[in-house]
Amino acid sequence: MAEAEEAGGANPVNEPLDLVRLSLNEVVFVKLRGDRELKGRLHAYDSHCNLVLGEVEETVYVVDEEEDNDEDNVRTVKKQSEMLFVRGDSVVLISPQQ
Amino acid sequence: MSFFGFDTSLPRDKPGQSSQQQSMFQQHDPFGGLRREDAGNGETLDFEDTYDGLGLKLDESGDTFNDDTFGGEEPVTRQEVGKDFDFAGQTARVRDDLLEEQVLHHARQPMQYAQPARPKKTGYEAYKEPEYIPKLEADASIWGKLSSSKKPAEPQARPDSSARKMMSVEEVEAMMRSQTKPTPPVENVDRQSQGLRDMLGVGTPSPAVAPLEQTRPPVQILQRPQQQQQAQQQPPPQQPMPEQNTRAPQILQRQHSPQQRPQSQDFHGQPPYPTQQQQPLQMPMGAPPVQPPQGHRGPMQPVSHNRGPSYNGPPITQAQQMMNMSTDEREAYLAEEAKRAKRNHKIYLLSKNNGLMTPQDKNFITRIQLQQLLTATGGVDNEPGSEEQLAEDFYYQVYAQIRGPPRSGPGQPLNQFAQTYLFQTGSRYGFGRNRGQLRGGDNHVQRMEQQVARAVEAAKARPKNKSLVVEGSLGKIAFSNSKTPRPLLNLKRADSESRVRPPRHTTVADRKAALRDIEHLYSTLMKLEDHERHMPRPPQEDSPPDEIERHIRWRSEMQALNQQLWEATKVMEPIQPAPTQPHPFISILSHPKGKKAIPRLFRHLEEQQRLTMLTLIVIHLDSLDVVRDAYPPADNTPLPGKVKDEVELFSQAVMPPLFSYVNETTLGILVGMLGLVIDRVHVQTILRTKVGVSILTMLISRAELVSQSLPSGAIVGSSGADDDKQQWSNLYSRLFDLIEPTLPHIFPTDTNVSAADDVYVWQFLAAMGVGASPEQQQRLVLGVKERVMETVGVAKSLMAAESMGGARPGGTPGGAPNGVGERKMGEVNLFMRSIGLDVELLG
Repeated sequence: MAEAEEAGGANPVNEPLDLVRLSLNEVVFVKLRGDRELKGRLHAYDSHCNLVLGEVEETVYVVDEEEDNDEDNVRTVKKQSEMLFVRGDSVVLISPQQ
Repeated sequence: MSFFGFDTSLPRDKPGQSSQQQSMFQQHDPFGGLRREDAGNGETLDFEDTYDGLGLKLDESGDTFNDDTFGGEEPVTRQEVGKDFDFAGQTARVRDDLLEEQVLHHARQPMQYAQPARPKKTGYEAYKEPEYIPKLEADASIWGKLSSSKKPAEPQARPDSSARKMMSVEEVEAMMRSQTKPTPPVENVDRQSQGLRDMLGVGTPSPAVAPLEQTRPPVQILQRPQQQQQAQQQPPPQQPMPEQNTRAPQILQRQHSPQQRPQSQDFHGQPPYPTQQQQPLQMPMGAPPVQPPQGHRGPMQPVSHNRGPSYNGPPITQAQQMMNMSTDEREAYLAEEAKRAKRNHKIYLLSKNNGLMTPQDKNFITRIQLQQLLTATGGVDNEPGSEEQLAEDFYYQVYAQIRGPPRSGPGQPLNQFAQTYLFQTGSRYGFGRNRGQLRGGDNHVQRMEQQVARAVEAAKARPKNKSLVVEGSLGKIAFSNSKTPRPLLNLKRADSESRVRPPRHTTVADRKAALRDIEHLYSTLMKLEDHERHMPRPPQEDSPPDEIERHIRWRSEMQALNQQLWEATKVMEPIQPAPTQPHPFISILSHPKGKKAIPRLFRHLEEQQRLTMLTLIVIHLDSLDVVRDAYPPADNTPLPGKVKDEVELFSQAVMPPLFSYVNETTLGILVGMLGLVIDRVHVQTILRTKVGVSILTMLISRAELVSQSLPSGAIVGSSGADDDKQQWSNLYSRLFDLIEPTLPHIFPTDTNVSAADDVYVWQFLAAMGVGASPEQQQRLVLGVKERVMETVGVAKSLMAAESMGGARPGGTPGGAPNGVGERKMGEVNLFMRSIGLDVELLG
C-alpha cells in the first residue's frame, strides 16, 4: 500500500485551492460579501475563486431598521437558482457542506 | 554686503563702488536702497546715491547709419523715396487693366485646368493647316453643341496667361510702358474688354448690349438644329452658349472648335444658310469689336471671348432650348442627361474617399485582421497537434474526435480556416477578375496568402515563455495577454512526483480521504486519457524502426499509467475482516463523482481488473451507499431525494459497465460471484433496495442464460461446464431459499401501486422464475401473489379508465399518465411468462 502510494505519487492537494478541488461536484457552502450565503453543488472554480454552482439556494440577510423602536430586524430572503456563476471577488469562504 | 541687509559699507562709498566695481553685466540690485531704509538708517536719498552709473557704459557707436535708415534730420518727402514703394498708386493706375485681367482669368480658368491633363498634343495643330477639314462632326451633333466660339477666346487668353506666368523681360517692359503712358492702346483694351463684357453678359458700359442679351437665347436655340444639319460647316456664332459648356466635356469643345475656326473669317460670305437671319443679329454686337484685334494677330489666332463664362450660363436658356426640341429629341436628351448625371454621381460616390488610405495602410489593416482571425481560431502560437493547441480548444478537439473522422488531424482547423478565408476572398476578387475590372486580383490573393504565412510565422516567432524571472528575486514578472491573463495566484507548484510527503494514514478512510482519492483517481484518469490521445500510429510490418520504437515506448507508458490508475481506484486495498470503515473503493463509489468515474475508467481496465472490481462491489454490496442508505425506512416514508438521485446515478453510471462485463463472463465466475453474495452479504437487506435487486438480476439472468445455452453434460463430457451447471443449480436453490421470505417485501411500498417504480422487481422475479423448478415457481407465485393481483387490478382499472376517458384530455382518474395501465400489465406479464403463465389467465 505504501509502495503503491509512492509509486502513484500524486497527492492531489498541493495548494490551498486544491482543497476546493476536493469539493468539486459536492455541495458546498459559500459565504459572500454583502451578507449573502450560497449553498449548492460546486461545478467549477478557478484561481480567482470564481465559482459555478448548481442547484443553489441563496440566502440574503436583510436588516430592516424600524423607526419607532430602535431594534434591527434581520430578515432572510431565499432564492433558488438552477445554475449560478459567482464572481470570485465576492467570495469570503468556501466550505464543504454535510 | 551682509545677507540680512546690514550694509557694512559707508553710504558715500556706494556709488563709486558700484560704478567702478560692478561689471557691465552685474545686476544692480534695485532694492538695495530700500533695504537700507528699512534697516533704519533714515538717510535721505539723493541722485548720487542711487544712480548706478550704467548710462556711462552705453556704447554710442552703433547708431552711425540711423540717419540713413530713419531719414535723419531732413523731412521725408514722397518724391525722394521713390516710386518703387508706391504700390497703391501703381495699382490704382492699372486698376482697370487688373479688372480686365480678372475677367479674363475667370474666362480662362476652365481651360487652364484642362490643359495640364492634356497630352502634348494641343488639339490646335489643325489650325495651322489652311485647308483643315473638320472630322469630328459626330460628336458635336451628339451633344447638340455649338460651342463654336469657345475656342476663339483661348488663343487670346493664352498669350496673356503665359505672359502672366512667366514673362520675358521684353514683355515686362512692354507692360510697364503701357501702364505708365496714358495710351492710345487703352482704347483697344477698352474695346476688347467691352467685347468681353458683351460676351460674358456682365457689366455693360454701352446700352447697346442690352438688346443683345435679350436676343441671345433665340439665337442659340436656332443654332442647334442648324449645326446638326450643316455638320459644323456653319461659322461659329460669336456669342457664348453657356449651356453648351455645361453639357459638353471640354475635350469635345476643343475638338470641334478648330473646325469652326478657319471659317470664322469668311463668316459673312456664307449666305445660303437658313440661319443667316440670326447671324446678322450677332454681328453688330459680337463680331465687330472682336475682329480688329483678330486682324492684327493673324488669322490663326481667332478671337472669341466667350470661353469661360458659359459655365455659369443661366439654366433658363437650356430649358428654352429644350422646349424647341422635338419630343423625341427632348426625351432622348433628358434620358442621356439623367444617365450621365447618375453615372457622375456614382463615380463621385465611389471616388469620394479615394486615396484616403495608402497601400501600406491597407496592408497594415489587413495584417491586423488576419492576425486576429488566426489567433481567434487558436493554435497560431502552437504547433499543430501540440499540447498547447490541444489545451487551447480541448473541448472542440475531443468533440471532433467523438464526432468522427471529417477531420484528419488536429492541425487541420487552422489550415481549413485559413484556406476558407482565403478562398472566399479569392473568389471575391475572382469575380472582379471576371468582370475584367480588377487586374490586380491575383496579386491581392497572393499577397493575402503571403500575409497569412507571414502572420503565422511571426506569431510562431514570438517568445514563448510568458514570464520573466529575474535572477535572485523572489517574484517573477508575468506577461499577460487576452488569452492567458496574468494569474492572480502564482504559487510554485512542487513537482508532486518528487515531493516527499509525510506518510498518510489512509486506513482512516474518512470523507476527506475519499475525496482526495477521487481527485487522484481523476488526475490519473485524465493523464491516461491524454496519453491515449497521443497514441502514435500502430506500427506496420514495414514501418521504420524508430516508429516501432516510439509505439513500444508509448505502450509501456500506457501500461505504467494503467497501473497507476488501478492503484488509484483503491480496489486492491486490503479488505478488513471486520471493517469499521468502508473500503476505500466503496468510499469512492459513495460520491457522485466517484460513480461517474467508473464508466470512464472501466474501459481502461483489463479483464482481470474488471473482475476484481466487480467482485469487490459484490462483496461490499450491503455497504454501498446506494444500498445502505436506500433501505426502506421502517415508517414507510419515501426515500430522501438525495438518495434517490444517488441510486439513479448508480444505475446509470456504474451498472452499464458492470452489466456489459457480466454479459461476457462465464458461468464459473458467475457462480463464484453469487456464492460470494450468499456468503458475505445479507441478501435480505439488498433485496429491499433497487441496486441490490438489479445486481442480483444481472448475475442471475446471465447465469440462467449461460447455463441454458450450455449443452447438457450428458451429451458432451465437458466436466467443467457440467460442474458449473451443477454448482449453479445448487447455488440457485440456496439463493431461492434466502430470497423467499423476503418476497412479500421486495416491492417498494413508499408509493401506491399505480405509481410504483417496480420494473426492476418484476425483472428480478422473471429472472428467478426462468430457472425455477415447478415447485419453486409455485413458491415464487405464492410469495408475490398479492402484489400480482393488486397490480393487475390497478392496471385493468387504469386501462379501462383510459379507454373510457379517451376523449377526455388530461389522463386517468388516478392521475397517472396514459399508458400506465398497459405498461403495468406488461411488467407483470414479464414475470408471469417466465413461469409459463399469462395475466390473461388470471381472468
